[in-house]
Amino acid sequence: MNCEEYWGETAGQEPGEPWAAHLARCPACAARWAADGSVAEGLRALAADTKNVSAPARVEANLVRAYRQRYGQPVSPSLGIHRWWAAAAAVLLAAAALWTGVRQPRRVSPGAMPAVATAAAAEEDEAGFIPLPNAAGGLDDDDVDLVRVELPRSAVTALGAGPGDDSDAGTVEAEVLLGPDGMARAVRFLN
Amino acid sequence: MRLPESDHELFERLRAGEEQAFVALYHRRMPAIYRFALQMGGSASVAEDVTQEVFLALLRDGCGYEPERGTLVAYLFGIARKLLLRQFERRRSDLGLDGGSEPAGASEPADPFDALADLAVRERIEALRRAVSSLPRRYREVVVLCDLEEVDYAEAAAALGCPIGTVRSRLHRARLLLAEKLREERRGREPVPAWKAARCEI
Repeated sequence: MNCEEYWGETAGQEPGEPWAAHLARCPACAARWAADGSVAEGLRALAADTKNVSAPARVEANLVRAYRQRYGQPVSPSLGIHRWWAAAAAVLLAAAALWTGVRQPRRVSPGAMPAVATAAAAEEDEAGFIPLPNAAGGLDDDDVDLVRVELPRSAVTALGAGPGDDSDAGTVEAEVLLGPDGMARAVRFLN
Repeated sequence: MRLPESDHELFERLRAGEEQAFVALYHRRMPAIYRFALQMGGSASVAEDVTQEVFLALLRDGCGYEPERGTLVAYLFGIARKLLLRQFERRRSDLGLDGGSEPAGASEPADPFDALADLAVRERIEALRRAVSSLPRRYREVVVLCDLEEVDYAEAAAALGCPIGTVRSRLHRARLLLAEKLREERRGREPVPAWKAARCEI
């Protein structure tokens, strides 16, 4: 066999003994083999360097929206345990931002709370996200993270925001968009 | 202990209307699909569009996934590849990688004393990244799939629609080309011979 035939034999496979013997007596192939090994090592480093690269959260948000359009609301909505801590923090931030942004000096009867929600909903974007007052940055222009949470309905209505429902019972499911700085940007009530 | 659900099980559940299964499958497979699209398409916006389209394809009636013909991963990469080919046809030229943007996973040197060593490693990685992006498409896709994403040859073959032997030989050829490109780059960085000093008499 000539050199090229040896290379053809080993293409993409572990080299056998004849190949090792050929390398031992052919300096050109040995050098080429070493270069090949160094490329393989470099590729491993390149793979490690990019292993944390992934699509921005808005892709997931778009897909979930498309999924719901196709199949309706989730059958078993739930949240990964590992994200609960982030969710809890996000809700607190969202609630605080909503509170400081939407409260107005007025008398509110217990049955009139959803009026603020209606006002806020008027500003929601196409995906149903209500931008939070004082939140820096847009929803589309940078890396955002989507966190799904459940809130006691009473907590939401106490803030004068949320789905128009007079009942304080049960929970409200919401999605919060977090900016790269960890601050809540927008909220969307799911039920 | 319960074994993690297979891609196929998640697919069946998502088609039955379980959003959680769709999200789980997305989280499991999105990074590799996104990186493949990024390495092949050359820009984050292309990668984002392709990733979104790949997972939207799963929601369509008659999406084309047939378990007896290959795994779901192979199917997803196959869809991504088709979308990228459509992009290439539109643009009629392959693009390089996003040279300006640093990958999110790139890490800073932990110790300032390691900075020089880290710089050398970074330079080597960047050189290789450039070399990969300059490979002809058929070689680039096998390198990205098999070497960077560690997809096995059978799945890569299913995604690319070619025999395993073709994957092997392309991969082999691609590595040789990469070695050659890296050698060229190293030669290009060697210092240019200094000009002979001469006094200007004007």
